[in-house]
Amino acid sequence: MLTASHLTRRFGDRLAVDDVSFDLAPGEIFALLGPNGAGKTTTLRMLAGLIRPSGGAISIGGEALTSSNAPRLRSRVGFLTETPGLWERLDVRHNLLVYARLHGLPDPDRAVDAALDAFDMRSRARDAAAHLSKGLKQRVALARTLLHQPDVVLLDEPTSGLDPESAREVRELILRLRHERRIVLVSTHNLDEVERIATRVGILRSRLVAMDTPAALRARLFGVRVRVALSEPAYRFVHVLIDAGFVDTSDEGSNLSIAVKDAAAAAPHIVRVLVEAGADIQTVTAEKPPLEQVYLKLLDQE
Amino acid sequence: MTRVLALLEKELADLRQNPALFVPAALTGFFSILLPFIVAIIVPQVAGERLSDSSDFQIAIEMYRNEPSVQGLDPEGAVQAWIFQQFLVLLVLTPVAGSMSVAAYSVIGEKQARTLEPLLATPLTTFELLAAKVLGSLVPALLLTLACFGLYVGGVALFAQPGVFRALFTPRSLGIVFLLGPLAALAALQLAVCVSSRVNDARSAQQIGALIILPIAALLVMQLTGSFQLTAPVIALVALALGGVNTVLMLVGIALFDRESILTRWK
Repeated sequence: MLTASHLTRRFGDRLAVDDVSFDLAPGEIFALLGPNGAGKTTTLRMLAGLIRPSGGAISIGGEALTSSNAPRLRSRVGFLTETPGLWERLDVRHNLLVYARLHGLPDPDRAVDAALDAFDMRSRARDAAAHLSKGLKQRVALARTLLHQPDVVLLDEPTSGLDPESAREVRELILRLRHERRIVLVSTHNLDEVERIATRVGILRSRLVAMDTPAALRARLFGVRVRVALSEPAYRFVHVLIDAGFVDTSDEGSNLSIAVKDAAAAAPHIVRVLVEAGADIQTVTAEKPPLEQVYLKLLDQE
Repeated sequence: MTRVLALLEKELADLRQNPALFVPAALTGFFSILLPFIVAIIVPQVAGERLSDSSDFQIAIEMYRNEPSVQGLDPEGAVQAWIFQQFLVLLVLTPVAGSMSVAAYSVIGEKQARTLEPLLATPLTTFELLAAKVLGSLVPALLLTLACFGLYVGGVALFAQPGVFRALFTPRSLGIVFLLGPLAALAALQLAVCVSSRVNDARSAQQIGALIILPIAALLVMQLTGSFQLTAPVIALVALALGGVNTVLMLVGIALFDRESILTRWK
């Protein structure tokens, strides 16, 4: 378990992180979203034991993080920094080997071999880091982050600047961590990525504006809605649905949007009412506003 | 200790990939070797005059008359022995001055290459980081010093009067090369690494690091003018003092190394 409790960090007069609290369990992928300067990297650095909080506490696996035990607890955390940070003149294997030794792994060579295999980098092991593409560098950096099998994995914008294929590879690796029951905290601007990988989302603007699953955040802001696509103009059926008790119904072209409490339970009833009224239904789906809309609305409310 | 060795090995591997970094140090070492040969051998031969005939060197003959290492040498040999001993200070410390840029760049270089933050996220302690950084520039400097000393002794044996090279194997000479040199180098490089961890620009670190050459130059001038002599007891005392200075410098370095400031304020 990773616990942040009333975490606060000041830089002079500036409050970078304000009273942030959360608990993360193994197997959870928690995405930290927020505009530039919202305190995401500062939060990650505090969790990694790199900078001290001005207030509040952090505990990893039930053990409080203090300045005296920070070096030891850092071995339980893997921190992927915003840039890969590889030693460019050294080859991939050597980059990983230094970290394996710094983490005091009992058999550094074997650990590096395993990491090279796991990240499909064996064929590039002898290439200088400077000769790798940005995507491959990020893959090596991820391998380095996970080399010592940390319980907690902190990823600062892991797909930033990567091409779509490399970004997908990184996302797959992150999802693999979930299956390995690690605690993963991802700081990102990429809402599509959050949608694909996160089990919970925190919106940060110095303080945590909101924190929940993406679906719960949507439901909280937009409610649950069912979308019905018809093969004819939808306005003709709005009053039919209102009369049937679906008072929050709107139309847009050939689509109807209906507020419900439970999409799965309400859908058959809606279909029945519309068919009885002579509607020609094409599709019925649960309406899912993009996460971007959720994010922007939450920040607007601030 | 394992972590220090791991990082030290990385530092040395990094330097091996970029040997050009040590070209200035090697050149400085080469000219430090050449200089006494010009003074003691080339100039007298070109001018057709013996050094021992010059009144400027009578002090050397007086001073060295009772030195066991120069007994049996004629006056010219004694002057040569004196010159080659005095220039040992320069020989030992110039490769260190050349390594200064490596030390000065050590921490700020990691920061600029954005490799410092992942490093600080490991269990590595500040002492371990600084020790590896200092050793990373000290070890090559000492190897270079050793190579220069070998060349120096070989050159003296070949070109100076027979027996002069024995003056390079007195306790005083060996103390300078193998005790004072490494300790002074350690202090200088520690200071450079401290500076490197406090400034936010590699150029500042190099410029401040370059100031370290001033006391070295002063020591050489004082020796040549006879106002200060590095005798064996003085060397032992200075070595003790340098041991203390090195301990203090390491403690100060650890205290000054501010991880938070390095991560959050340096751009």
